[in-house]
Amino acid sequence: MRSAEVVDCHVLVIGSGGAGVRAAIEASGYGETVLLSKTIPGKGGCTPMAEGGYNAVLREADSCEVHYEDTMKGGAYLNNPALVQILVEEAPERIRDLLRWGAVFDVTESCEVAQRPFGGQRFPRTCYAGDRTGHEMMLTLMDRLGCSPVRIFSELTVIELLKSGDSVAGALALDRNGEMTALRAGSTVLATGGGTRIYDISTNSSSGTGDGYALGYRAGAELIDMEQIQFHPTGAVFPYDARGRLVTEAVRGEGGVLKNSLGERFMARYDPERMDLSTRDVVARAIATEILEGRGTPHGGVYLDVTHLPRAQIESKLPVMLEQFLKFGVDIREEPMEVAPTAHHVMGGLRIGSGGETTVPGLFACGEVAGGVHGANRLGGNALADTQVFGKRAGESAGKAKKRKVKIDAKQVEDQAKRLESFLSGEVHPSSVTRSLQTAMWEGAGIFRTAKDLEKTLEIISHLSAIPLRASGPANLAECCIVQNMLTMASLVVRAALLRKESRGAHVRKDVTQAWDAANSPYGHTFLSKERTGIETGVKP
Amino acid sequence: MKELTVRVFRFDPESDDKPHYQTYLVRVNEGARVLHALHAIHDEHDPSLSYRYCCGSGQCGSCAVRVNGEPVLACMEEARDGITIEPLDLPIVKDLVVDMGPYLAAISALAPGESFSMPTPDVVETMKPLRSCIECLACVSACPALKVTKFAGPTAMREDIRLALDPRDSCDRVTEAVKEGLFTCTSCQACWKVCPKNIEIPGKAIEKLRALANRKGLTLPRHQEVAQMIKDTGRSVSRTEPTFLEQVGEVLEPYGPVKGTVGFFVGCMYNQRLPQTALDAMEVLRRNGIRVIIPKEQVCCGSPLIRTGQVDFLETLKRRNIDAFVFRDIDTVMTMCAGCGSTLKNDYKTPFRVMDINEVLTRMEIEPPARLPVKATYHDPCHLLRGQGIRAQPRELISQVVDLVEMPSVCCGSGGGVRSGIPEEAAALAEKRREEIEKTGAEIVISSCPFCEFHISEHTDRPVKNVSTILLEGYREKDRKKKAG
Repeated sequence: MRSAEVVDCHVLVIGSGGAGVRAAIEASGYGETVLLSKTIPGKGGCTPMAEGGYNAVLREADSCEVHYEDTMKGGAYLNNPALVQILVEEAPERIRDLLRWGAVFDVTESCEVAQRPFGGQRFPRTCYAGDRTGHEMMLTLMDRLGCSPVRIFSELTVIELLKSGDSVAGALALDRNGEMTALRAGSTVLATGGGTRIYDISTNSSSGTGDGYALGYRAGAELIDMEQIQFHPTGAVFPYDARGRLVTEAVRGEGGVLKNSLGERFMARYDPERMDLSTRDVVARAIATEILEGRGTPHGGVYLDVTHLPRAQIESKLPVMLEQFLKFGVDIREEPMEVAPTAHHVMGGLRIGSGGETTVPGLFACGEVAGGVHGANRLGGNALADTQVFGKRAGESAGKAKKRKVKIDAKQVEDQAKRLESFLSGEVHPSSVTRSLQTAMWEGAGIFRTAKDLEKTLEIISHLSAIPLRASGPANLAECCIVQNMLTMASLVVRAALLRKESRGAHVRKDVTQAWDAANSPYGHTFLSKERTGIETGVKP
Repeated sequence: MKELTVRVFRFDPESDDKPHYQTYLVRVNEGARVLHALHAIHDEHDPSLSYRYCCGSGQCGSCAVRVNGEPVLACMEEARDGITIEPLDLPIVKDLVVDMGPYLAAISALAPGESFSMPTPDVVETMKPLRSCIECLACVSACPALKVTKFAGPTAMREDIRLALDPRDSCDRVTEAVKEGLFTCTSCQACWKVCPKNIEIPGKAIEKLRALANRKGLTLPRHQEVAQMIKDTGRSVSRTEPTFLEQVGEVLEPYGPVKGTVGFFVGCMYNQRLPQTALDAMEVLRRNGIRVIIPKEQVCCGSPLIRTGQVDFLETLKRRNIDAFVFRDIDTVMTMCAGCGSTLKNDYKTPFRVMDINEVLTRMEIEPPARLPVKATYHDPCHLLRGQGIRAQPRELISQVVDLVEMPSVCCGSGGGVRSGIPEEAAALAEKRREEIEKTGAEIVISSCPFCEFHISEHTDRPVKNVSTILLEGYREKDRKKKAG
C-alpha cells in the first residue's frame, strides 16, 4: 500500500459549508485547526445555494417563545426541545456575528435587517440577502476564515474516520490523484451537510451525498430520525437535467401563488389558513396530490406565479430566480414557473447534545448532518440559522476538549488500502449504481411510503451494495467511496422509515392508519447505530 | 435524447508533453448543459476526464470553462453540437481543472473596525450587485491586462469598491486597489461581458475606484495632464495638423439625392490627429446620399475623464455637446470613434439617437464598392464590440471590398488611459495583437476606432485602415475601372 501523508491537529473540521466554516473559525481560538473540504472551500455544500433566508428573532413584536413554538409545531413535535431552545435563543447573536464580519443583508429604511414571511411562521422573521442569502453568508464566512489561523485542505475526500480505541481520532482522505492523507485530530467535527443526492430529484449540490451519515455510522455513532427527508415543494421540472433545482420559498414569501392546471389556488383545499405559506411538508404533499390526480402542468408540475408582483420587486428580491429561469427560456415577470417537489433536506442525522457532541467520544457534528433540531419537518430559514448556532457550538466544544495525542490504528489504514485496491479491480462504473439508487429511492422512499415499497427498496439497496464498484484509475477511487456512502445513507433512511409506523411531518406512511396527531404521538426518535436499532416509545412530545 | 459532437481540451501535466484535443460523440437529454455533456463523457466514455462542478445551478462558480473561446458556467450554458470546451485561461492542473487559488486569495476580506454601523439602504443596494459575484474567475480568464502586467484582476477590484463603500470596513481600499493595479485596466469590458452575474465591473468598480483615487490625489500624473488639457482646450489630445472641423463646412451635402441626415460627432482623435480618416468617412457618406451636419462648438465627449475617474468637469462637456446638436434639431447623431460612441450611448442621457457610422451605413443599401485583391483582418474595438454591441456591421461593410480573415477579439491596450498612463502595458498588449495579425497572414488591418488604429499601427508593419477608408478605396477602384473601361 501507499504510505499516507500524516497531518496532526487539535481540531479537524470536515466540510466547508456554513456549519463547517463557522465551526472552524470558532475552534481555531482553542488550538490548531484544520478544515478539510471535498470541494473548493466556500463553493461546496448547500449553504452557497441557500436562497431564502435566516430566521432570527430581532424585533420587539416577535419573541423566542413564538419562534420556538413555530419550530416545534412545524417539526411535528419530533424536535429535541433543548436544541430548539438553543437555536431560537442564539440565532440572533449569530446573525450579529455575520453582520459584524461584513455580511450584506437587505435592510429596512431604518437600517435594521429586513425580514420577510416564510412558511409556518407567525411572524415575518426570515432575514435575507435577496434570494442569495446563503451565498452572502458563505462569502462572509470565507472572509473570516481567511483571516483565521485555520489550515485549509481543498478538494480532499474523507473516506473513513480514524478510530483510536472507542474514540474518533481524525480521518483518512484522498486527494484528486487518489493519494491518501491521514489527519490525526483530538477532536473531529463532522459538518458534511446533507445527502438528498440519493434521490433522483434533488436540490442538493453534487456534494450532497450523505458522506457524514455513512462515516458517522461506520465509526459507531447513533443516528436519529433518518426517515425524515424534507421534500421541498417547489423544484424546477425542466429541462430534464435541471429537474429538482431549488425554486426558493422566498418566491412565495414575496407573494407568489400556487395554481394547478385549472387555474385553481389549490392550497385552499389543503391549508385554507396558511395557504401558499403553509409548512413545506403540507405544500409538497398538496402539489404531489394535484399532479397525481391529473391537475398538473404539461411538464408534470404545478404553476408558481409571480406575474402579479411589481417587476422591480422581482428583480430586486428574486434576482437569482429571474436569471435561472431566463436561462431556460422563462421570464418569470411575464409567465408562471412550473414546479414540483424535490428532495431537499435531511432532518435526521447524528444524535447530538447541546455542544454538538455525538454518541462517540472525540466526534462532534453540526449543521445538516446532525439530527434533532428540525424534528419531522424543517421550517424554511431555520437551516441557515442552525449552521451558525450549532457550527459555533460544535467548534467551541471541539476546541475546548482536552488536547490529546492520538495514535493511528495501522490495521484500520491497511483495511482502507485494501478497500481502495479492490476498486481498481472492480467491474461496475459507480455512476450507473448511483442512477439505479436514485431511481429506487425516488420511487420507493419518496413523499408517500408503504412498508412494501420500503422493503423492496431496501432489497435493491442491498443488491446495489454488493456490486463490485470499479475505479478506472486512482483519481476515481473517491467516487467509489462516495457511492458507497450514498448506499449506506439510503439504507439508513429506508430502515428508519420502516421503523416509524406512523405518518409524522415529512414522513408519510400510506399503509398505516393512526388514531393520533403529531402532538399526541406515542413515538419519539427512531435510532440506528451499529449497536442498536429502534424507535423511542412512551415519550410525550 | 440527442447526440452531440464535442471537442475537449485534454492535458495531464504529469504525463503529457503538451495539450491535445479529443472529440467525443455524446448522448444527452434535450436542453442539456455543457456540464451534462461532460458528465456523459466521464460516465460513458472516459472516466479520466477531470473537471470541476458542484451546485449545478449557477450559484457556486466551480465549473467555469471556455466554450468556443468564451468563458461560461458549464452548468448554465446549453450544450450545442460542435462546441469546443477548454479550461479557463489560468494555470492548468489537469484537463479542465485550473488553479483558482491565487486569484481567489487576491480578493480582499472585510476588516471590521472598532465601531459598528450598519450600511444604509442605498449603500446596500449599491453593494448587492457587487456581492452577487460567485468567484468563478471567468473575468480573470478574459482580462487581457493581467496577462501582461501585475494586476489582481477584475473581481478583486469589484470587492475593493464594495469594501470602500462599506462603513464596517476599516482599511484604505482605494490605495490598496491602486497598488493592486487599478490603473492597468484598459476598460475593454471583457470581464463584464463574460460575467455570468452580469456585474458591470468597469463602470461600477474600476471607474468608481478611480474616482475615489482622484479625491485622494492618486490619479496618474499623465491622466491629470489630459484632464487639464480638456479643461483648457475642450480637447483631450493636441493637434498635429489642421483639424477636421477647420477643414469642413457646417453642412456637407451629398452628391446625389438626400436619403438621410445625421449630425456628426467627430471626437478628439479624428479631429486633432487623424482628420483624413474622418474626411474619408464624409466622402463615403456623401456618395451614399447622407447629409452631414457638423456643429463646430462640439468638444471632447469626456470619455478620458470618465475612464480615469476625473469626473468633476464632465457635466460641462455633456451640456455643451448635447446643446450643440439639440440647437440644430438633429435627431440622429453619428459617431465614428468607438470610444465617443460608447460614451454618448452609455454615459450620456441624450434627447437624440446616437448611431455609430457602421450602423448608419448598414441600415441603408450602400452603393457597392469594387473589390480589392487584398487579404485583411479586422480588429474589434472594445468600445464598439462590447461597448455598443456592434460586431456584424463592420464585417458586412469590409467584406464588400476585401477578403476578411478573422482573429480573436482582444483589446489592443490603448483604452482606459493605459496608453498614456502605463505605456509599457499598452505596448505589451499591442505586441500580442501583432502576433495575432501575423498569424492571419493578412496584408492589412482594418478597424473602426482612432485609438486602436493609432496604437496598433505603431506595432505592426502592415497598414492599419479605418472601415470608411477601405470603403472609399473600393469606390475609387470602381471609378478607376469605369474610367479605364
